[in-house]
Amino acid sequence: MKIPLLVSQVLNGLATGMLYALMGIGLSIITGVLNIPNFAHGALFALGAYILFTIMQLVGNFWLALLVAPLGVGLLGVLIEYGGIRPLYKAGHDYQLLLTFGLSLIVTEGIIIVWSPVGMSQLPPPLLRGGVDLGITFYPKYRLFVMVTAAVLVLGAWLFLEKTRYGAIMRAGIEDKEMVSLLGIDIHRLFTVAFALGCGLAGIAGALTAPIRGLNPWMGVDMLGIAFVVVALAGLGNLLGSIAAGLLVGVAQSLVALFWPEASVAVIFAVMAAILLVRPQGLFGIR
Amino acid sequence: MSRETIRQLLVVLAAVVLLPIFVRHAIATEIWIFAIFGLGLNLLMGYTGLLSFGQATFFGSAAYVAGYLLKYYGIDIFLALAIGIVVGTVSAAGVGYLCVQRSGLYFIMLTFALNQMFYFTAYQWTTVTGGEDGMPGIPRPSIFGFDIHPPLAYYAAVAVLFLVSLWIMQRIVESPLGKILQAIRENELRAEALGYNVPRMKLLAFAVAGAFSGLAGVLYAMLFGIVPLESIGFVFSGNVVFATLIGGSGSLYGPVIGSFVFIWLSESVSTMWARWPLLLGVAFVIVVLFFRGGVVEAWARFWGWRAAHRAPAAAQVDADAPR
Repeated sequence: MKIPLLVSQVLNGLATGMLYALMGIGLSIITGVLNIPNFAHGALFALGAYILFTIMQLVGNFWLALLVAPLGVGLLGVLIEYGGIRPLYKAGHDYQLLLTFGLSLIVTEGIIIVWSPVGMSQLPPPLLRGGVDLGITFYPKYRLFVMVTAAVLVLGAWLFLEKTRYGAIMRAGIEDKEMVSLLGIDIHRLFTVAFALGCGLAGIAGALTAPIRGLNPWMGVDMLGIAFVVVALAGLGNLLGSIAAGLLVGVAQSLVALFWPEASVAVIFAVMAAILLVRPQGLFGIR
Repeated sequence: MSRETIRQLLVVLAAVVLLPIFVRHAIATEIWIFAIFGLGLNLLMGYTGLLSFGQATFFGSAAYVAGYLLKYYGIDIFLALAIGIVVGTVSAAGVGYLCVQRSGLYFIMLTFALNQMFYFTAYQWTTVTGGEDGMPGIPRPSIFGFDIHPPLAYYAAVAVLFLVSLWIMQRIVESPLGKILQAIRENELRAEALGYNVPRMKLLAFAVAGAFSGLAGVLYAMLFGIVPLESIGFVFSGNVVFATLIGGSGSLYGPVIGSFVFIWLSESVSTMWARWPLLLGVAFVIVVLFFRGGVVEAWARFWGWRAAHRAPAAAQVDADAPR
């Protein structure tokens, strides 16, 4: 096997791995704070991509589109939390989970109705087209951009959670909700903020993915499973763990794609199963 | 048998006999198949308190394996059913082994993620499964030389298997094992403290649920003559959870009623509009927000309400109604 090919596959794995990490962190925040696995996470990922696509069609400004996508999806997250999840606080998490499952169907079908069931493609902005010479191999600029942007976003999320007051409250919420509300903090608002933040991260991950993989209404289906894998391996609210798990899964996937492309998605889940067989608590999980 | 049990039994028998008169035979058959599937899930969801989002894994695996053997090796129908049950049990035991070590949220996510693994394997392994097109050409062998190709004959065969499944599930739920599972649902720590090996019991529940799913999977493949890719997909897993929820989880007949409502509605709507999953999603949201207890509870509430109107003192019944 040629070295340049191997290098570019590893780089591809790192780029998609960073996107997986973004998805995983968003899900991790939602699941950690609200105690529900958000089954709409994949559909919201797809919605983010479609919002980017639409803004590109209307305005043609990639940077604006990249900003609007997470805001739009995050706003929808606020509505979902406020209108759907909040009335179910007393009913229990199983029902909240089923609500998100129903919403995932609604969002996916909504995308089919508003846009179309046919897949579409999206070019990167002119600035990010073409490749750069890395010495060993040529590599598409856009994928490098995705890697850097995702890294910046992950860093931002880390700074928010570790260095700000509200981030500390959010981490406390993951650990012990009752104690947090006893301290006089509006736990319901915390839930809304966490849900919107998680959805927003899914939205921007989707928007960033659109120029790489194109768009179709079901593009979030495998992403949802992958986000679950990242959380199961990393543990809830564990940012560094999510990054490591995301990169591991991304690189494993793109290396397997080199010699056995058909298995490249199933291998993600096989890797998870193998790790959980040896370490039931996940790579970094405590609970 | 108590009077209550006999009454319920008569209602189910009447439903089995009357259904094909009012509903198209294929749909009537699908209702009982889905009910068998739901019975298995309900042992996990309703009785053990384990919300599995990956039941299609066992349903689909059994359908593919038995379907493949039926198609290419022309195996006997009893062997096909037995293989389906074994595949369902074994795959559920394997998946369950990984999942029961984690609890709560992780458990749900793992059942889902492993479902995805099976789905993408079936999706890509086109030489065997046919990928997106499914695996067509599944035959429906005769039973002791009796041809079950006529829809009503197959309906009768499925209905008998459903009644047997229902009877077995009732025995399981009322057995000491069933009581232990309910104890785990109510208070896992206490069950553990009483000396029960909780993970092993959960695993056992998983395997039993897998057996029911496997049986349902083979019957499904023979009903439509094809194993569609969706039969191993996560939406299918969600559907059975939803059907059980509409009926009312935690009661033996909940998934049966739920299956009736779900299959009948989805089969009627799906022929009218290609985007019917949208309505399914809306129904999900409405049921979850407003009708959480399902049909069984709505029924109990109705009777409680009537009793309360007749004699205010009887309102207490409402509080004891099954969840």
